[in-house]
Amino acid sequence: MKPINQYIDHTLLKSTASINDIGKHCEEARHHRFFSVCVNGCNVSLAKELLLHSSVKVCSVVGFPFGSTSTSAKVEETKHALKNGADEIDMVINLGFLKSKKYDEVVNDIKSVKNCMPDKALKVIIETCYLDKEEITMATQLAIKGGADFVKTSTGLGTGGATLDDVKLIKSVCSEDVKIKASGGIRDYETALEYLNLGVDRLGTSSGVAILKSVAVHSSY
Amino acid sequence: MDISKYIDYTLLAPTSTERSIIDLCHTAIKNGYYSVCVSSSYVPLAKQLLEKSGIKICSVIGFPLGAMATSAKVYEAKQAINDGADEIEMVMNLGYLKSKNYVSVLKDISDVKLAIGNKTLKVILEVSELNKNEIIKACEIILDANADFIKTSSGFSKSGATLTVVKIIKKTVKFGIKICASGGISDYETAKKYIDIGVSRITASSGFKIKQPV
Repeated sequence: MKPINQYIDHTLLKSTASINDIGKHCEEARHHRFFSVCVNGCNVSLAKELLLHSSVKVCSVVGFPFGSTSTSAKVEETKHALKNGADEIDMVINLGFLKSKKYDEVVNDIKSVKNCMPDKALKVIIETCYLDKEEITMATQLAIKGGADFVKTSTGLGTGGATLDDVKLIKSVCSEDVKIKASGGIRDYETALEYLNLGVDRLGTSSGVAILKSVAVHSSY
Repeated sequence: MDISKYIDYTLLAPTSTERSIIDLCHTAIKNGYYSVCVSSSYVPLAKQLLEKSGIKICSVIGFPLGAMATSAKVYEAKQAINDGADEIEMVMNLGYLKSKNYVSVLKDISDVKLAIGNKTLKVILEVSELNKNEIIKACEIILDANADFIKTSSGFSKSGATLTVVKIIKKTVKFGIKICASGGISDYETAKKYIDIGVSRITASSGFKIKQPV
């Protein structure tokens, strides 16, 4: 297993985040060598600039957090984020279309975004808190069909975040080459470790710094 | 008084199905509301359902965080207009406002306004996230950007409109721009209180009690 910091997308998606907040956030990411920072579209160019000459990647959310923007708007938002320096994209699926069983449109929404970024990682957020078991299975299948590199559990702004049971279910549907990102409510080292032991490849959390502090405590035993 | 013409009948929950959008549009027709307000991915469906009804379609943009890049908001707005929207409701960039980057707040709004020509632009402040000075500053910027309405809230934040906040907005903008009150307005009496202090439009969702009590 890699060191835990290398699994973390250090996340700041509050709508009121200021330039100073983003500055502090990127500095933490650089200092702790997190895998990436995950930010809103309006902060991608700033984050990229702040993280130049570091190994930390920049990840932009798209259609966030509702996923109910039109497909062509998601595509344009993705193109713009990539142009501004995003290395990865976290998009939200269209939950309304999923609930309406318009599965072709759900896939088309994802595929249209993936087509803009064939060589970069696309994470597809299925927002598990609003889905029952069957819908989670279906959403995972549709995400894979659309070309997702990662299936991601949650926005962090819904009614709940990742659960171990939901991740196990997603894992059972995914093939080997599709990765999983667990997010929402992962605030300490023990929880992070539980997900990594399940085979999760990435953790979305705003508590990365706290998680690393508790690693330090554990390793001093 | 008949308040139906003040009402933007709104359904923006991310899990809203086609069935629920159909119900929304049918209720809007039955009650003669001013408009329906939906996510941009449901504008084509609403357009189809409201053909020849006279009821307008309003699409939200950059919703509910307002933290999309400006060019993405512009594109989403243009696409919504192409799909049949008559009005655009965008959330302003709160991070830029908190950073006192007022030029970027203004550009975010005026770029969308330029892109939609003579269609109506409402700008959502999200008052629950702002203090009094920030609300006043935001109103001044929105006036400068030539938007058509200031709207108080997305309905997905900590809280919605209050009479106090609307009075602050009204005092700042006077008659320079219209006001839309939103968030937690669920019956005739509450709506009427807002209209009485100068609000021109009310956001209401399913369950809104339109009837004046006898």
